Parts: sequence; structure tokens; C-alpha cells
Amino acid sequence: MALRVLSVSQNLRQLSKGAELLKRYKATASLKKTLVNIPATQVTRLDNGLRVASEDSGAATATVGLWIDAGSRSETEKNNGVAHFLEHMAFKGTAKRSQTDLELEVENLGAHLNAYTSREQTVFYAKCLSKDVPKAVEILADIIQNSKLGEAEIERERSVILREMQEVESNLQEVVFDHLHATAYQGTPLGQTILGPTKNIKCIGKQDLCDYISTHYKASRIVLAGAGGVKHDDLVKLAQENLRGLENTYDGKPPVVTPCRFTGSEVRVRDDSLPLAHVAIAVEGCGWTDQDNIPLMVANTLIGAWDRSQGGGVNNASNLARASAEDNLCHSFQSFNTCYKDTGLWGIYFVCDPLQCEDMLFNVQTEWMRLCTMVTEAEVERAKNLLKTNMLLQLDGTTPICEDIGRQMLCYNRRIPLHELEQRIDAVNVSNVRDVAMKYIYDRCPAVAAVGPVENLPEYNRIRSSMYWLRV
Amino acid sequence: MNVRLLSRLQQRWSVLRRYATKPSSLSGEEVRIGTGIGNITGRARDDASSLSVNQPSTKIVTNLPPLTDPIPNLPEVEYARPLAESSLTQVTTLPNGLRVASEPRFGQFCTVGLVIDSGPRYEVTYPSGVSHFLEKLAFNSTEKFPNKDAILKELEKNGGICDCQSSRDTLIYAASIDSRAIESVTRLLADVTLRPTLHAAEVSAARKAVQFELETLGMRPEQEPILMDMIHAAAYRDNTLGLPKLCPSENLSLIDRNVLMNYLKYHHTPQRMVIAGVGVNHDELVRNVEKYFVDEKAIWETQVIKGTGATEVDASVAQYTGGLKKEECEIPIYAATGLPELAHVVIGLEGCSHQDPDFVALCVLNIMMGGGGSFSAGGPGKGMYSRLYTNVLNRYHWMYSATAYNHAYADTGLFCIHASAPPSNVRDMVEVITRELVNMASEPGRDELSRSKIQLQSMLLMNLESRPVVFEDVGRQVLATGHRKRPEHFIREIEKISHGDIQRVARRLLATVPSMAARGDIGKLPEMKDVQSALSNGGRLSSRRLSLFK
Repeated sequence: MALRVLSVSQNLRQLSKGAELLKRYKATASLKKTLVNIPATQVTRLDNGLRVASEDSGAATATVGLWIDAGSRSETEKNNGVAHFLEHMAFKGTAKRSQTDLELEVENLGAHLNAYTSREQTVFYAKCLSKDVPKAVEILADIIQNSKLGEAEIERERSVILREMQEVESNLQEVVFDHLHATAYQGTPLGQTILGPTKNIKCIGKQDLCDYISTHYKASRIVLAGAGGVKHDDLVKLAQENLRGLENTYDGKPPVVTPCRFTGSEVRVRDDSLPLAHVAIAVEGCGWTDQDNIPLMVANTLIGAWDRSQGGGVNNASNLARASAEDNLCHSFQSFNTCYKDTGLWGIYFVCDPLQCEDMLFNVQTEWMRLCTMVTEAEVERAKNLLKTNMLLQLDGTTPICEDIGRQMLCYNRRIPLHELEQRIDAVNVSNVRDVAMKYIYDRCPAVAAVGPVENLPEYNRIRSSMYWLRV
Repeated sequence: MNVRLLSRLQQRWSVLRRYATKPSSLSGEEVRIGTGIGNITGRARDDASSLSVNQPSTKIVTNLPPLTDPIPNLPEVEYARPLAESSLTQVTTLPNGLRVASEPRFGQFCTVGLVIDSGPRYEVTYPSGVSHFLEKLAFNSTEKFPNKDAILKELEKNGGICDCQSSRDTLIYAASIDSRAIESVTRLLADVTLRPTLHAAEVSAARKAVQFELETLGMRPEQEPILMDMIHAAAYRDNTLGLPKLCPSENLSLIDRNVLMNYLKYHHTPQRMVIAGVGVNHDELVRNVEKYFVDEKAIWETQVIKGTGATEVDASVAQYTGGLKKEECEIPIYAATGLPELAHVVIGLEGCSHQDPDFVALCVLNIMMGGGGSFSAGGPGKGMYSRLYTNVLNRYHWMYSATAYNHAYADTGLFCIHASAPPSNVRDMVEVITRELVNMASEPGRDELSRSKIQLQSMLLMNLESRPVVFEDVGRQVLATGHRKRPEHFIREIEKISHGDIQRVARRLLATVPSMAARGDIGKLPEMKDVQSALSNGGRLSSRRLSLFK
């Protein structure tokens, strides 16, 4: 009957948001050493600079993957889209294996191979039975080192990417966030989209792909992460066998990450044929490593997220949710805190009826100003609790844990132990939240992106002038 | 407004003029394609030094090191060691028939909940939709908690979340929470399931939520929930599993507190429930269950319920009838992706119950058929070499999707293939699917069988990585059989499946009467008798020639 699980797996996925493997840090004064009921994350650096990080839970399955410190931010206007193009070419065959060989090999293991590209990271990972970890690492290593990049496959993939682009464009949330980045980081690489413009996709060739690999796929910018039934020593050995060949030197000058300037500005794409208005507004937040990040996350959780299916008055941790439900302000909203290396976007995305833009925005900005000036202790405590719950519940299964390890290794060059993270969240108090809000939100120029029937959205100067309160 | 403020305002204006520039020269086309606004240049801040106003603060707000560095003086901790999971499921049956099952597990969070033998299959004497309402009404006010918010707050205190889901034959209430809060969560679950108040206002809110969901389903291009109701209605005509899971809109006004309470009174009884916990101490769980589920009475025992409807549980065995259920209608199109309107067809055959000796073989067959959408994203590992991909989706480019499903219940099962294609190809689509069903009885390739077996094994283990899935598995198994078989048992059972087993279950499926559900523009749908004769005739639809040369 365990197989029952298999036939109704769609149902189960929904329920699984409640799962978590980790134990919370427990302060037990009587013990010399506190017990945390999670395995430690072990990290080893190879001679060529490649980092190996893993958490061994002894499970029957495992996730291993390569996290690469390169994404669309590493591109220029000319080659924007290469990182994503490469992700597509990864499964199209290597010097050792044809595309069919690769697919059959993975399918026959009962494993999954996947990849994604973000603005700062490129990720290839495999999920498999723990006994197949050596094979999975070998395949991943082969993919990033010996990808064939055949001309015929490149041509075929072009049309696939253009198709994917169509799909992205039908997802208005993605469209709005692309516009938000384009305006907030105008004139810098962070303003570029991940997929790249059509004209680039049409002309990217083998040479562009090879150049990108040789510039960015360097050992010290790559992390091999593992979670589940993975022994750290074995993983290190596998890395030595398969990834030793990765270079870590540059012929010319190594590429430097240029700071990306944030510009308070706006972009509106008015289209009255769409039924709903989609709006994102954000101020400049902080980078990954900044200590202000944690209070900003608490502030972000405090604003929260809501959609109409949740009904009214429910989960009143968020004032804005209550207002939205009672006054029919919007269909959904979602507060976000997106971080990059040296900057970030802290803001909110909402979808509303055409004539509700102004009212919704008014409520959002009032709530932001309240955050800066008079947010209460009870709200902050509740948001801290929710933030901790969300973080812990997210770490459910080997893939999310592996993802957490890989991302943190690239962002922080370590995995923040869970008990430290909890301590950092616990340490946030109401005046910290007010201070960060004052620092990042109050009287700052926001970036605004709006798509759809947005005539009702106030003009920029009015939005800007609601970023402070004339009260003494 | 005093002078100081005024001067601040003026400064602000100068800033605004400088930085808040709207990107100019956006051609409409560039915007619409959602890319390439890269050529907009913001004004450089090179003269920023001349402006002394409104610079971002550089004050460090938090008195801790950056996230790259550890906090100093962090208490030393001892990490857990990986342990092989050799835990056994403990089951206790209380005197009133309530079963409590638990399994210890790594970690300090636990998932606790109820699996109840209840759902649309028992609704024959009630207006259909009762379970749909109950799902929406879960975790609302009870005798001890004045409203849903109070419940969520109670959970939140211990970092918990909750969920309720109904399937055709089970209703599940569950919460994931810090395992030190076991008493609080047991009390909460007992109240939610045995003592809900079901205020008129809550019932009407649930009615709205159900209505909203029905409307949303009608507007979405995805058809699975509606089609699954239809194929069950065709396969089990007017009985048990054929009753709808989605509340029919004409029943919205028929379901009220009395109907719901009466249903609860007869279905939420101790003998029909299992309380399962994963990551909890068994004795503690049992103690709390005795306190809150046994000692405290259910609301229908302390209040008089004005009964409407049956006074006993429908105990009938599912009757597989086969047949046709179709609906000519317009199906919403996927926005902006340039896909045509699609027509959907599901063809089903009677499978077997999850207690049947053929069950594991049928699961392997399901994986072997596999399938999915023709444009599914993602890398290898998604069943790209299953038959519905290699024989159907890769070969017929007009097919949009083809997926095999295997539904198993306590006394029967339904094996079906769902496919979609443009309306002009409906007839071809039915023929292609029928042929694949007939082909199931031929000998599977050696690689094909071993691949399917390994994929099923890894899928089983990967699903069980997640604690709520383990919870549901424990609950459902104990509800059905009184104990839980370990995953290792199934891994061994899968290993044993041979070519002969697959062919045997395929023949068993093909010996049954087909059921068919179709939705959309289905003018070209063949008749049921043609499909039936095709199934016994090599999969070829006889009444019209498809080939020019036949």
C-alpha cells in the first residue's frame, strides 16, 4: 500500500509542504553541548579550489548537484542569454555520451536530472538512489566539462528557447519582475533578463557558449553539494576523480563583478485588454551577506502574502491581508526580498482589479510607513515565528536541503548552521525592524513596474511622495 | 508646515528630478516581448558627490557580524549522526475502536493527523458535495476555539501548519509541528474533527469557497479534476466511487449544517479513524489521544442533531459498470502560448484493489505506460522512455498529452489513460490510445521492464523522503489493514515482477468493459461499442477506415 503513495502523488505533493527533516535548536542549559538533531554540514576544499559540501542523513535517496557562481549577471549586453542557453545544451550530449545515451542512462537509474539558471547562479543537479551517487556525480561532471555543443543541437535548441520565452511571456508575474529588474537596474547587467533578448537567442553560437564556459566555469566558483544518503568522504573522493580537471586560472584578466546601481524609476506597460493589473514596487534592499538581511526578511514576512482563495480575516499576521480581504483591494499580493551579491530588491507584487490600483497601493505604502515608524512588538514576534517555521518547513527532503547547501556555499562561503540562523532571527527586535525599514524604505525612491490596465495607478511623483510622512 | 520641512521638500524635488526618470524611448514592441529594455541608460551618478541630501544610510542596524561570519560565542552543539531507519510502526487499538499508529523519526518536528474512512464514496444518501464542504470547513471554529484565527495562532506558537484533504474514500486532517507541542496539537485535532461548531456563517463562507473553486475550474485549461470525476462516474455508474468529488453546483444550496452534522455523526466514528504520527513518542501520543479523543465527547453526542439523511454508513461494495460520460463544451485555451483548443478523452478499465496480489504488477505497468505532456520541461528522468512517450507523443505530433493513471481503492481499482488533442483528431486519438491499451498484453522489452521497476522503486523512496508522505502512508495502511508494510517490503515485491506478471494483469484489465469520459468539442468521438470491439480486435476502430490503402 505504500504504492498507494505512487498513484496519488499529486495529492501528496500538496501535503508535503508540511514536511521537514530538521530538528530545531533546543536550549538545554544542563547539557554542556546542545544537541541538534540534524547532521552537520561538512565542507572540503580541493586543491583546485572546488568546494565540496554535504549533509549525510543516511537516507535511501540523495540529491547531488553543481552550483556555479555565474548567471545572467555575468553576461554583457552582447551575449545576454548565454548562461541560459548553456543550461539547455547540458543534456544534449557530451564527448562520451550521445543525448540518447545520457537520457537512457538516467532513466534506467530511476534518477532525475535537472538544471536552472538565475541571475547569479547556474545549477545542475541529480536526484537518485544513494547507491547511484557515484554515477550521478560522474554524469554531472561530464555535462559541465565535456558538453558537445553540436551545431545541429544548438539550432534545434534555439527554437525551444524561443518557445520557452513565449511561455514566460504568458506568465505576467515573470514579465513584471523582468520589467522591475530592467528599470531598477537599468544600464547594468542585473537589468538583463535571464533568457536574453530574441536577437541574441537567434545568433548565439558555439563560440559564445565555449567562451562563457572558459570564462566562468572555474573550479573556485563551483560547489559540489550533496544531501541525503551521501558520505562526505566518498563525495570528496568522487569530486577528486571527476572534477580534478577543472581549471582555476585565467589566461588574461579574471572577470570582476561590477557593482550594479539601483535607480528609482518606473516602467508601465498599459494594456487595457488584460483583465487585471499586475504591479510590483520595490526599494533597494541589501546583498546576501549583509547583516541587515535578517531584519529585512522579518519585515518582509510581516507584510506577508495573501490570495483570494485564503478568504477573509484568515491568518491575520498581516494587516495588509486583512485589509485586502475586507475591502476587496486585490486578488493577491506577495511581499518579496530578493537578494544579489551587493544589492537587493525589497518590495511587493500585487494583482488587482483595474480600478483598485490606487487604493491597494495606498494601503501598501501606509503599511510600509507604519513599518518604519510604529510597527509593534507583537507583530514582529509573530513574523519571526512565521519566518522560522517557513525556513524549517522548506527543508523537506533531500533536494531542498541540497539546494540550501549549494546556494549558501555560493552566497556565504559556508552553510549557516540552523541554530545560528535561529539565533540571528531571535535576536531581531522591534527597533531593529524599524531601523532597517527607516534605512531602506523611508524616503527612498522606489522602482515600479506595472503591466495591464494600470491607468488607475498614481503617477510616479505621487508614489514617491508616499514614501515618507509629513508628521512631526 | 515649518520652514525646515519646506526646505527638505525642495531638496527632495531636486533628487526626484535627478533620479526618478522614467525610461524614455521604449518602443512598444520591445516592452511587449518582455525582454530587451537593456538599452535604457540611467543617468550616471557621477556628480552624486555634489549632492549631500538623501544618501542611503550606511548605518549598521544589526549588532551581529555579516552572514559570512559565524556569531561569536555561539553555544557549542552536538550534531546528530545519520542513522539507518529501522523503525517499526507501533499500533495501539483503543477500547472504542480508535487506532493510534506512530513511527519515530529523525528530527524534532512531527506530523500528526487523522486519516478517516470517509469521502464522496459514502455520500449516496446525502446530497453530493458533503466532503467538498468538509474539506473547506476544516480547521474552523470549534467548542474551544472561537474561530480559525485562534487555531492558526495556536499552531503558530509552535511553528506549526495544518491542512485538510479529501480523496474519494478518505479524509485527512494533518498538522506539522514542533514535536514538543504534541499535547497542543492532539487537542487541536480532536476539537477540529470531533467538535466543530459549523456556524451558519462558516458554512456559507465554505459554500462561497466551493463556488469560487468550481468557477476557477471552469475557467482553467487544466481538466484533470473534472475528467477524473467523469471517468469515475462512467466506471462506477451511480454508486460509491462514481459519486462526484466536486460538489455539483445545484447542490450548493442543499448542503447546510444539519446535513453536514448528520454526515459527521455517522462517519467520523472512532472505528473509522486512524490517528497517525511520524516523529512522535508513541506512548505520549496514545495518552493524549485518550484524553482528547476518548474522554471528551463529540459535539453530536452532546448536542441533538436534527437528522436529515441516512442513519447508517453506506457499506456497499463498489460496482464497476463501465460506460460513457461525455460533455460537449468549450474548453479554455492556454493564454498566449499559441496552442489550439483541445478535446480531452479518458479511457479506463477496471484495475484492482490495493490489497490485490496483482497490485504491485499493475503499478509497474502504470510506470511502463507513463506519459505526460508533449512539451514537458526538465531534464531526463521524467519517464521520457515510457510507452506513451515513445509510441504516442513522439510519433503523433498532434497529441498534446497522454498520461496513464492507476487509481486503487479498498475493493476495486481504475486504470486509465488521459489524452488530449485538437478536436479534429479526436477519433485518431481514441484509436491510438486503444491500440496502446491492447498492446499492454504483448511481452514487454527486457530493458523496458527493468527500467520501469527501478523507476517505481526510486519513486517510492523519493516520495517517502518527505514526512507528510510517510504520515499519509502510515495512516492509510493502518486504516486499511491494521499495520504498515515497510517500504523494503514493496521494494522486494517490485523486484519480483516478471514479464508474465505484466502480461497477466494487462489481460485481466483488457477482459473488463471499458469506461470512457470525454470533454470539449467531441463531435468526432467514436461510439462506445466501437471502442469496445476495438479493444478485443487489436485496437483498430472498425467503422471507418483511417488508412487510404485498407
